[in-house]
Amino acid sequence: MAAPFKPFTDSPIGYINNDGDPVAKMKPTFTDDELKRLYRLMVLCRAIDDRGYIMVRQGRAGFLAQTAGQEASQIGSAFTLAQKDWVFTTHRELGAALTKGMTPGQLLAHVLGKDLDPSKGRNMPSHYGDGPLNIVTPSSVVGNKTPAAVGVAMAATIRKTGQVSLCYMGDGATSEGDTLAALNFAGVFNAPVVFALQNNQYAISIDVKHQTKSRTFADKAAAFGFDGYLVDGNDVIACAEVSRFAIEKARSGGGPTLIEFLTYRYGPHSSADDDSRYRKKEEIELWRKTRDPIMRMHKYLTKQGLWDDAAEAKMQAEIKQEVEVGLAEAEASPVPAPETVFDHTYATLLPHQIDEKIEIFGHA
Amino acid sequence: MAIQTATKTLTMVQAVREAMLEEMRLDSTVCILGEDVGPRGGVFLCTEGLYAEFGPHRVIDTPLSEAGILGSAMGMAMNGLRPVAEIQFIDFLFPGYDQLYSEIAKIRYRSAGMFKVPMVIRGPYGGGVRGGVYHSQSPEELFAHIPGLKVVIPSNPYDAKGLLISAIRDEDPVVFLEPKRIYRGVKTEVPEGAYTVPIGKAKVVREGTDATLVSYGAMLHVALEAADRLAAEGKNVEVIDLRSLVPYDGETILASVKKTGHAVVVVEAPKLGSFANEISAYIAEKAIEYLEGPIMRVASIDTSIPYNLEKYYLPDADRIVKATKKTLEF
Repeated sequence: MAAPFKPFTDSPIGYINNDGDPVAKMKPTFTDDELKRLYRLMVLCRAIDDRGYIMVRQGRAGFLAQTAGQEASQIGSAFTLAQKDWVFTTHRELGAALTKGMTPGQLLAHVLGKDLDPSKGRNMPSHYGDGPLNIVTPSSVVGNKTPAAVGVAMAATIRKTGQVSLCYMGDGATSEGDTLAALNFAGVFNAPVVFALQNNQYAISIDVKHQTKSRTFADKAAAFGFDGYLVDGNDVIACAEVSRFAIEKARSGGGPTLIEFLTYRYGPHSSADDDSRYRKKEEIELWRKTRDPIMRMHKYLTKQGLWDDAAEAKMQAEIKQEVEVGLAEAEASPVPAPETVFDHTYATLLPHQIDEKIEIFGHA
Repeated sequence: MAIQTATKTLTMVQAVREAMLEEMRLDSTVCILGEDVGPRGGVFLCTEGLYAEFGPHRVIDTPLSEAGILGSAMGMAMNGLRPVAEIQFIDFLFPGYDQLYSEIAKIRYRSAGMFKVPMVIRGPYGGGVRGGVYHSQSPEELFAHIPGLKVVIPSNPYDAKGLLISAIRDEDPVVFLEPKRIYRGVKTEVPEGAYTVPIGKAKVVREGTDATLVSYGAMLHVALEAADRLAAEGKNVEVIDLRSLVPYDGETILASVKKTGHAVVVVEAPKLGSFANEISAYIAEKAIEYLEGPIMRVASIDTSIPYNLEKYYLPDADRIVKATKKTLEF
């Protein structure tokens, strides 16, 4: 198909500016309802993220990697995936997990390490996963999920399932060898995979200038023989439009795409990080106050006559309720039973594990 | 399963190839990937002819990247296939070690069983072929130590075929290490068709009453040579082929040691931190009251493996005989 976007551009592809005015000649291809849903998902994501942060401050959760600021790139990229498609997250993809279908209750149960978390609290918080939705519970090792994301896509081709694999990574992951191996395999096997690279401009404290000498991260795709697109990662319409194009291109046999979403995280790397050591408050405030993805979409919808104060008030009330219900579900969910600590190392317990189980619990 | 009576005399390379061939014919989700596994048939010819029969979607030549091979095989396994990933020499696996350690071994656990990776990681390992520092190593304990992986090492063509078929059918990732020193030197009768040898069952390959030698892989044959020499001196030793390291068959080891009162564990890896330690500690924990002498370990020396002085590095029958006599004469 003819590409509606130009790869390897100097400046990010965008549809709306910081004031919510259209900057692209192209009109969004999404319906008004879809645009409103994108907005709603971002607000809901922020609300769940805020709730997680409160739980860390209360001492009820031991860790959180906040998503705030990156809602557009995550929700826009995952918005047009089919149920059967795969998502490989890293440790911050609350928005992607929510968009693919995880519930506020599951997401908050994950933060609390409860049974309602589909991964049963095995991972530290912010590592969202769900089997039925093909959201792969991630490891914490940066860059090493990418080869499996390509393998899933290769299997989709071999088995003719029509699935696409969406693989998230950060700017830091581009320096890892496994990522380069994955990009290379994706190109060689023309795998139906989309690499969603959220450039939030920091790998903990290391800024992009210390991560790469490349002009953009999108440029790196050229070395592997496929297109890379630089997208305004705080413009949810641009994120969703370019992602839809790349996903459908992959699905129709057009091979992989790398999308760099230029964005920014408001919080520190995680609740264990002190970002005042490496960036200025003014920089954070600049992004938060003038480039916020939720604010921009709110302005756009309002100016387009699709949104008003009454709609906003109604939605906010609904979201408050949804998060409260989710939190109640998460809190009511038990911590997994002690004996389950052995489960799922293998399909069945091995003899030496049975010995250990008897030693610890007094029974097999 | 139909009882197969027809057999052929095969080498381990041929047996490994047959296992994959049989399973690929039986199960369309089984596929192979690795370097040079396609038209080349693998550098040791373990995949010879498979590309011609099954084509490029099932016998996949990959770019030169172990992380790419292992990681993409993991994804394929998650999405409905049963890949057999060939690592050309196990010494070359380590650029992809993180894929084994952090991803393949842990995805089932970290997802509480939502995702599984039924796959095999197979390749030649071990010394005795003058392969030097990087074509000779025995790093089996570096896999055995990782919860979530199974580790299997055959010592002969019959077991190689049956164990590899079991590994391909297993629901968990199996590291399948092939002792290349006996890739072609040891031949056995191998049944035609598919059959399985269960993972986790050791085999008493020589019965005896005076001492128990536990070994696996190429060292099993060195242990048997030592047993012959000890027999000539009137010492009747039992030899156990472990066959699987994870899970390992503790019951068979204990039954033998309780009978003989002496244990010698023979491995090809350097001694410090080797799998001989696990077996020795297991015997000590479970059966120390039956022992009449120290548990002995015979292993390679704690150096890298040299091209020119390999003979001084690897365990030989002399060292096994010496160690056995030491415990017998305790």
